[in-house]
Amino acid sequence: MAENEFRRAAFIFNSAPGDIPGQNATAARPAKRRKLAKSDVPRPQDGSAIESAFPPLFNGAESPEAVKLRKELFDTAWPVLEGRIQHVLRDANQTTLDEVTAFLQQAAGEDTGKITAGFIITGPNIASQDLLFEQLAERVCAATQARFVRLRASEAPNLKAALKKIIRDATAKGVDQEEEEGGVELTQGGRKYLDYDLESLHVFLNQQQQARRVVVAFQDSEAFESGLLTDLITLFHSWRGRIHFDVLFGVATSVELFQARLLKSTARQLHGAQFDVVQANSVLESVVKSAVAGSHAALRIGPSLLRSLVERQQEQVAGIQAFISSLKYAYMCHFYANPLSVLLAGDGRLDREALQPEHIEAVRTLESFKTQAEAAIEARQLNHAQSLIEDDDYLVTQVLEQGQKRQEYLQQLLRSLHLVLSTGLSPTPFTELYTLALSSGISIDQASGTIPLEDAVKRLGPEEFSSLIGRLLGAVQYGSPELGLEGWETDAEELAGSLTDLRDEVEGLIERSKANGTALKSKYSAQSRVMRTTVVAQKVQLSQDTATLTEEDKAFTQAVDALLALLSQALHCDPVDNFFLHEAWVFDFKSPYRDVFVPRPGATFGRALSRPHDYLACACCAKANGGMASTLPTTAILYHLYLERGALINVADLWSAYYALVGDESDVGLDERSALACFYRGLAELRMMGFVKQSKKKADHIAKLKWL
Amino acid sequence: MARRKATTEASVSHGAISDDEVEEGAIAREIYESSEDDEVEVDGQADQEEGQEPATPSKTPGRKRRIAARKKSPTPPRDLPPHEQYFYQNKPGLTKTSNNTLSSLDLLTHDEYFSILRQLKDPHAPDVKFLESLHAESFPQWAFELSQGFSTCLYGYGSKRRLLHNFATHLSSQSPDRKIAIINGYVRTLTTRDILTTLTSALPAPLSSTSGGGSANPSATPQAFLAHLSSTNTPLTVLINSIDAPPLRKPALQSLLSHLAAHPQVRLACTADSPDFPLLWDAGLRASFNFLFHDCTTFAPFAACELEVVDEVHELLGRKARRVGGKEGVAFVLRSLPENARALFRLLVGEVLVAMEEQGDNSSGGEEVAVEYRMVYNKAVEEFICSSEMAFRTLLKEFHDHQIITSHKDSIGTELLSLPFRKEELESILEELVS
Repeated sequence: MAENEFRRAAFIFNSAPGDIPGQNATAARPAKRRKLAKSDVPRPQDGSAIESAFPPLFNGAESPEAVKLRKELFDTAWPVLEGRIQHVLRDANQTTLDEVTAFLQQAAGEDTGKITAGFIITGPNIASQDLLFEQLAERVCAATQARFVRLRASEAPNLKAALKKIIRDATAKGVDQEEEEGGVELTQGGRKYLDYDLESLHVFLNQQQQARRVVVAFQDSEAFESGLLTDLITLFHSWRGRIHFDVLFGVATSVELFQARLLKSTARQLHGAQFDVVQANSVLESVVKSAVAGSHAALRIGPSLLRSLVERQQEQVAGIQAFISSLKYAYMCHFYANPLSVLLAGDGRLDREALQPEHIEAVRTLESFKTQAEAAIEARQLNHAQSLIEDDDYLVTQVLEQGQKRQEYLQQLLRSLHLVLSTGLSPTPFTELYTLALSSGISIDQASGTIPLEDAVKRLGPEEFSSLIGRLLGAVQYGSPELGLEGWETDAEELAGSLTDLRDEVEGLIERSKANGTALKSKYSAQSRVMRTTVVAQKVQLSQDTATLTEEDKAFTQAVDALLALLSQALHCDPVDNFFLHEAWVFDFKSPYRDVFVPRPGATFGRALSRPHDYLACACCAKANGGMASTLPTTAILYHLYLERGALINVADLWSAYYALVGDESDVGLDERSALACFYRGLAELRMMGFVKQSKKKADHIAKLKWL
Repeated sequence: MARRKATTEASVSHGAISDDEVEEGAIAREIYESSEDDEVEVDGQADQEEGQEPATPSKTPGRKRRIAARKKSPTPPRDLPPHEQYFYQNKPGLTKTSNNTLSSLDLLTHDEYFSILRQLKDPHAPDVKFLESLHAESFPQWAFELSQGFSTCLYGYGSKRRLLHNFATHLSSQSPDRKIAIINGYVRTLTTRDILTTLTSALPAPLSSTSGGGSANPSATPQAFLAHLSSTNTPLTVLINSIDAPPLRKPALQSLLSHLAAHPQVRLACTADSPDFPLLWDAGLRASFNFLFHDCTTFAPFAACELEVVDEVHELLGRKARRVGGKEGVAFVLRSLPENARALFRLLVGEVLVAMEEQGDNSSGGEEVAVEYRMVYNKAVEEFICSSEMAFRTLLKEFHDHQIITSHKDSIGTELLSLPFRKEELESILEELVS
């Protein structure tokens, strides 16, 4: 019965209770361990198995409440973020959409005798184009009452297929609205139109009594054959009187290159404009700002993971979608496999009862707990350290306090970053600043700091000085909606007050020096004019000129120093690793991400075949250790032999080598026919995996296909 | 970094050696053989070092071998980086294989293969079972990933059909109402239509089934199916065995599957059997699949339905005998056919042999040698084998059904017939037919 199903091409699965593989699975399940970090044994919950409920951790000892809490936390944390990301992505395309729609609307009014063409420079990633064209379809349909058809090169290999697709898509949307007309519109006078005849589209559009406009979007125009494009454009042009065609091209490279592929006569039929899409980098930046760094993100992506995610964006053309998926996966991993993720729950939902002895035990094994305890001992707070280690209740209060401290830390981090950004003095992009701040903290000290702003601040001129203070005050007052940061004027009255004082003072100084007729400068900015070269009696004299600073200059210097002191106080933050219990809300593991998103199947297959022991853990193959042994599975033996051969492999020799290893006289002792059956199977598997193919160079030879 | 430098140095020096190697192949071979044992040991040590971090099986065996390069033994082929090895092994004139053939060996037939297989006991069976149970541990995790809008792709050596089946059982025990469709990519006759019909049968019948003509049938086109799916609100789980099997490699099918995967009601999990499976998808497809990959090396043997071992091997060896099983099979088939069919086949074999003679000695098989359909028909009429083209077609159809002839059209549209046998086989078939 089951065997029959496997021979069928496709079928609907229904599991009979007596199904043998099913029984095996349930019988085999409870005994084993899971692969993910600390998690163990997902015990099936009796009866009430809720779909996609998390399995309990701590060897199954985790209480159902805690499991539920983790699930709830995930269910609330991620959708918030996803919504924000979608918002950012949609916003990013907004200007392009507006421009394109306006262009199409304007073109509808004029009659140029040409086809209106929009060239949208999308950049090289075809994965992110989908969203853009989807939005375009929505907008254009709504704004211009036109039919919108999206064409991709793979769907339209030739003229006929392209026309079929255009006609089908343009008419299909009408069927949705008025199903009754579905069958009628394709025939007229008893004659049925061929499905690539534009006449049928014409008739259809006439029936619909709408504007007879069709917008055709070529999503990946580079992938279309230029002959096909030329044909289509010519055809559209000749139908112009009856159907109003507009075309949009998604261009990955440049319009010039695209134009070079078209015939001049075809290009002359187009009347176009170029539109730029926001570059992937800046989209990434804003996604990071709002979804990763922003205060709405419940879970922090650790610096090393974030760095590798961003690197992947820049080095491989992975697309922003891949980045978002990776983010989501990090959230999933954290709440699914880390029992301490319950500590992220807000006040009220987490109390003493919710924490089991296992949780406390887990906290004590954390790296940050050790650091904390050691720090306490260093600081001679022995009582504190002892209670941490011995007193569960004390530890729990400490743990519960951390929630508040985490909020404060994050606030401080984001405020500092926002201030750094608003100074406009740091050339580093935000993502880098953020990872830097997480991994090594923030300090603006010139020599040792992570964000060395000191020199830049010192070199400020008086006008820049006051505008800088203006920007800082603005930042404090309004916060940053992108980062989810509200203004914090009330918290920073002191800072704001001193900044305002400084600004008033400097403005006064500027006034005064203007009245004196001198330019205001500080000790630091004046230094550039210290060296004087004078030519005296055909000799060059270098003279050290201690710049004479006026009273105002000195006052300005003092103001600069004061600002610097204020800034280094305000822009300060510890690295996240120093934070007690950061493991509960920072996810910084690269390995599941890399295994799951960037697999290395070649290496995996190679390892399985060359070192089967790694997977099977069998006693017989332990000795082989990556080498050859007669006990290995057949395909593994053949793989070893295969690696030793050249580009052309004689099957007869391969067989005799194999038979010598496993045949009658060896330890394995297979008889010839059995060995041959195994050999057949191994060879067939090698072929299926694409290692070898038939060769016609010599009789009974096969060709090698893989050198990796 | 240091190691990499060392290997480049090593490979440079090997390059210098390798020119001599072409002439002194035999000597080098001897040395190579004698040093092989040592090298395996070195490999072993290197591997042990790597083996301490089992979480990252990142080094390919090819790379591990490079460590041995420090010895500078005169055996370049083993120590070269993969690309160098490719060029080395593909040097013209370097194919030094013996002239042995398998002619002395009696090849296996289907029956013999299966009867031997039933008696063979795999010593690794318990280990394979244990490995499978380890993978089964991840079922809740995969189910969670599917529920979050990801698709999972299980790859690695060995058959994953049972694993996926067990996963299906697990899924249906979690939520019995969910429809699960299983698609077997390894079935050679799989078509888009099969997939769509099966998936459609999982959905409730369309409400407005009366209104539609041909186009409203949801299984007719992928678009129609997806529209139908959206209208029903039924969640659907699709499990695909061997997504990289030949029948599923067509771009159209992959893009259909990716559309399916991108649909919010559909959860998709698949298995892949070959190491090159990521080449199936470009960035766009990959984004809409939204894959998570899991290493699921099972070492489980492939079942007869997944891999037709005997056929595969014989095809590999250039002995095309799919289904009928060589000349015995042909004789068997012909015995069950009427006299004039036998006569026609005799005629055909004779013509093909004549054509082979004319083309000169091309021992690679009869597939390339073809005779013109029209010519064969005329001869058949002359010899009173058949009287009309209709009858002739009927006879040929019988041959086609048993896959003992193949036909195709050449570039100018002439229909050609050929026989999928080697010259020797054809000769013996002819002998049998004449006697």
